[in-house]
Amino acid sequence: MSSTEAIVLAKLPRSRRRHPVAVWLSLALLGLVAFLVLFGNLIAPDATAQSILDSLLPPGSPGHLLGTDELGRDVLDLTIAGAASALVGPVCVALGSMLLGILLGTVAGYLRGPIDFIIGRWTDLLFSLPLLLAAIVVAGVFGAGYWMTVLLLILLFSPSDIRIVRAGVMEQAARPFVEAAQMLSLSKARIMFTQVLPNVWSLVITNSMLNVAFALVAFSSLSFLGVGVAPGTADWGRQLTDGRAIMIDNPAAVLVPALLIIGVASAANLVGDWLGQNLTRTGRS
Amino acid sequence: MTETRMTNVPASGAGLGSGSSIGSGTGPGIDSTAQVAVTGLTIDGPAGVVVAPFDFSIAPGETLALIGESGSGKTLSAKAIAGLLPAGFSARGSIALSSATIELPSTDAVWRATRGRRISLLLQDPFTSLSPVHRCGTQIGMTIDAASATRLSREERTARITQSLAEVNLPAEVARAYPHELSGGMRQRVAIAAALATDPELLIADEPTTALDASNQGEILDLLRGLQEKRGMAALLISHDLGMVRGRAEHVLVMRHGEIVERGVTSSVLNAPSHPYTRALIEADPSLTDRSAGVVRTASGVGVTPAAANADSATGDLVVATDITKSFGDKTVLHGVSVTVGRGETVGIVGESGSGKTTIARCIAGLEHETSGVIEFDGVALATGRASRTPKQMQIVFQDPYSSLNPMISVGRSLKLALRVAGRPASDLNGLLQLVELPTDFASKRPAELSGGQRQRVAIARALAVQPQLLICDESVSALDVSVQKQILDLLSKLRVELGLSILFISHDLAVVRQLADRVYVLRHGEVVESGPCHDVLNAPTHPYTQALVAASIHEAPTH
Amino acid sequence: MTITPIARASQARSLGRMLVVRVLGTIGILLVLSIIVFSMLHLAPGDIVKNLLGNRASSPEAIAAIRAQYNLDQPLYMQYLIWLGNALTGDFGQSIRLQDSVSNVIGSRLGITAALSGLAFLLALVVAVPLGVQSAVRSGSWIDRFATGFGIVGLSAPTFAVGLLLLYVFAFYVPIFPVYGAGDGGLDTLWHLVLPAITLALGLGAIILKLTRTAMLRELETDYVTFGRARGLPDRQVHLIALRNAAIPIVTGASLVLTFLVGGTVLAETTFALPGLGTLLQGSVLFKDIAVVQALTLLVAVTIAIIALLADLAYIFLDPRIRAKESAQ
Repeated sequence: MSSTEAIVLAKLPRSRRRHPVAVWLSLALLGLVAFLVLFGNLIAPDATAQSILDSLLPPGSPGHLLGTDELGRDVLDLTIAGAASALVGPVCVALGSMLLGILLGTVAGYLRGPIDFIIGRWTDLLFSLPLLLAAIVVAGVFGAGYWMTVLLLILLFSPSDIRIVRAGVMEQAARPFVEAAQMLSLSKARIMFTQVLPNVWSLVITNSMLNVAFALVAFSSLSFLGVGVAPGTADWGRQLTDGRAIMIDNPAAVLVPALLIIGVASAANLVGDWLGQNLTRTGRS
Repeated sequence: MTETRMTNVPASGAGLGSGSSIGSGTGPGIDSTAQVAVTGLTIDGPAGVVVAPFDFSIAPGETLALIGESGSGKTLSAKAIAGLLPAGFSARGSIALSSATIELPSTDAVWRATRGRRISLLLQDPFTSLSPVHRCGTQIGMTIDAASATRLSREERTARITQSLAEVNLPAEVARAYPHELSGGMRQRVAIAAALATDPELLIADEPTTALDASNQGEILDLLRGLQEKRGMAALLISHDLGMVRGRAEHVLVMRHGEIVERGVTSSVLNAPSHPYTRALIEADPSLTDRSAGVVRTASGVGVTPAAANADSATGDLVVATDITKSFGDKTVLHGVSVTVGRGETVGIVGESGSGKTTIARCIAGLEHETSGVIEFDGVALATGRASRTPKQMQIVFQDPYSSLNPMISVGRSLKLALRVAGRPASDLNGLLQLVELPTDFASKRPAELSGGQRQRVAIARALAVQPQLLICDESVSALDVSVQKQILDLLSKLRVELGLSILFISHDLAVVRQLADRVYVLRHGEVVESGPCHDVLNAPTHPYTQALVAASIHEAPTH
Repeated sequence: MTITPIARASQARSLGRMLVVRVLGTIGILLVLSIIVFSMLHLAPGDIVKNLLGNRASSPEAIAAIRAQYNLDQPLYMQYLIWLGNALTGDFGQSIRLQDSVSNVIGSRLGITAALSGLAFLLALVVAVPLGVQSAVRSGSWIDRFATGFGIVGLSAPTFAVGLLLLYVFAFYVPIFPVYGAGDGGLDTLWHLVLPAITLALGLGAIILKLTRTAMLRELETDYVTFGRARGLPDRQVHLIALRNAAIPIVTGASLVLTFLVGGTVLAETTFALPGLGTLLQGSVLFKDIAVVQALTLLVAVTIAIIALLADLAYIFLDPRIRAKESAQ
């Protein structure tokens, strides 16, 4: 297809474009949850306070909109306060993994050779074990706490970032504009980080958004299995484990955090996809 | 308003020689003997009319060529007639075939009955138009099955496939091959066999040879011509190359910006173009013009261009590459190639794809590490790789204008970076843009906002920003439209005189090299088969391969 | 001509060589993993002998017995070699939690997990591939919107959350499926596995759907699809050509599906209290029953390596260009 025709086509409203309404809703939900993460402890300071008198109230009870669990903890307060534990970890995982991915992926993809080989085998090794299994085994056997779990997940998430950055860098590095920079005798580090990396950003950002969603799922799965988050902590995954037994008496104790996890992960996924479509369209000439 | 303007076109066509089956003032349905008559074909895009209404008809066994540069609307016209317009585009008008008439826009059901059986479309790139995971025979067989009313037996289908392959001069065992096992020319033959297996009334061939090597192009076009005559099939040949249609199409339409600007019998359009745009196209086509330039040279008896004179006065050689060998794994692409570039001289390296011409240039530039051999620059031997070279020694202008500029960085920033490397002030930016004949406000633009030719000018400016002694042009104009190609070649000729540049010019296109080079090397399978002054080598080639190359390029534009 | 019988023969030979390289690479990775898995015993917090004793009394005799049983007085590399040798013959030692040999423990629970994963995989495949193809072919239609929405939620919803929601709905509102345990074997067990399998299939299906849709969309834009339509091939045939080409990226994504399946099985079994390998792993991890954890980890690694190898082979089988490229090297 000729260039002008291609440009005309590029301006077409893409039929595959996600409905902006869903994107706006997702952003709104993410905004609300971000607010809870930042101020949840101020809104619900007594979330983990137990009360034998108030144990196992159904939703709609006076003073307890969503009822209480068997320890008498208010489900709404728990949910509000649990946002921080459920989300801070995943966001840190996505950021840490992005950083590792950029560093190792760029170096491997641009320099190639032995460094690439070593990094490649390292990612192969990490990829050969299912992420959740590795996390359960390592965090469980070693009794890792919250932040150790974050570090572990960064390590386990990084191969996908490394591979994506590496593939993007390799694709860009073969392009003539990179060779033109070599013809100007610019240093390798300068070419990597000023010429090549800017063209890979859109991939990185998109993948990090998707990583937030998957890290949220992984984190809550771990705490559901009793790994990573200490018992008694306000955390959505933890709420599901604890609430399973009292599902008949107070379904809200399970349904609310479960729907929140699904909703927030879906929203992050949707925004990630949307970013991917829009950023890559402007990033490519 | 476009409507009124366009109805004038057939009238102007009426002035052309009698027997013309297109144009004529008699309105639609023009020629009762026509196989195909298209009337009022109009294409609407998302932002309004993209192709203004036009008519044409094609007699059985005849070819109509639709000529235009990229973006002219010629490919959209082809797709409209095949009912394959991309989403967002729609067509109006009618297509009268001898067996049916289709009113546009039409339904999927009508197109299903039409495509293949009545109209078939051959695409440009044989490397992508066949499914890579299906055997060639299977792909031809699918067309045969689609067209036949009854279910064919295995033997019958095999026989029909063999017959289809024989028609395009391919042996029967090609049926068992996958496309990647075949050369480009062979793949395009398979595609032709697949497209014609249903015996359509009209074949639309969209740039069928553009992706092929020069030596294959003529063969494919002649094959198409032969098949068409044998079957009495009408053909619509879409091309950007006016030179190609000589002797291969009865009539020609020239399209520009979605409008037909000229139409008529091929020879009269080529010999006496009436529209200024057609004249510009003919002048810009090196294969059409250089023929006359060659005549002038022989007539005057002096085969010396100004630059060649320039080279004579220069002292010593700038680049001496001796006995360069380069292997990738166990595949050797250069077998002891020696190339010399004198000061102020323009040296051409000619060869088909895979000849190693780009590799030798990249070795000289230090982007590739030669396996053995010596490269001297200014009398000093250079170690392999970029580390031993400085930006001021040499710069490259690459082939693909769409990837040779960093899409995330503005033109101005790219150029300033190059200026800074050379220790020149950023204020030289405007002068640099003027040097390559670009307006100074281009500095703030992103590459995506520029056309191919403009990008290539920026790439040249970036190369010249460091004031290199040698400029390497690696197929620098081959991705551009003919008229733009001409402008860039003119710019390069001007710059080498103004700046006293030495140029190493790599190309597969003899006509382009002929325009610029003082001396030429002909490369084949990693060896120099012939070298010498450009004029001697290209006008009186001694090596059979060079002779074949030259013959192929003349074949494209046969003399009368 | 490039297609001589000789070329074919040498192609087959180098294909064999390439296979050997892949197999050796896989064995290499498994060896490295086995070292990591082995060292888990020594790296786990706490005293190694106490960990191995579990709840048993730590009399000097018991300690001596443990030291002898695990060869703790041998040099580390000998311990590893003995452990690896035993593991290769299926001897992973004793489970301190269940007081039985690890191979017995695993053997008795393998059936449930295999049935659950198989059922879920089948369910996901049967629904997701046709849905993915249709959603790509009718891009923008309601079916595409539904598929896209399903894909996003399926990818985002943790298996246990979906499981709990299903459990709630089916336990209290539509009590047609049993919600806990594995039943009494045979058809009853299959009946018990329906809900867990649907739970697991949702995530699996979302991955397969996304892979299929993306690959199909890309293939439908290629020249050979346009050329197929241009020469009058019926839509069905054109879609089949596209799907045949799309099969390559879809199979390549198999590792993604597998990774999900392993984690998902643990969560689904835990949610529905199924006595399979997943719950065994969870229980063993929390109890620090290291011998079982080691055996399960190795088992999963080997299974994944074998399936990845098969996917690689399928990839070569599906793409004639790879065959040519591999043999050219």
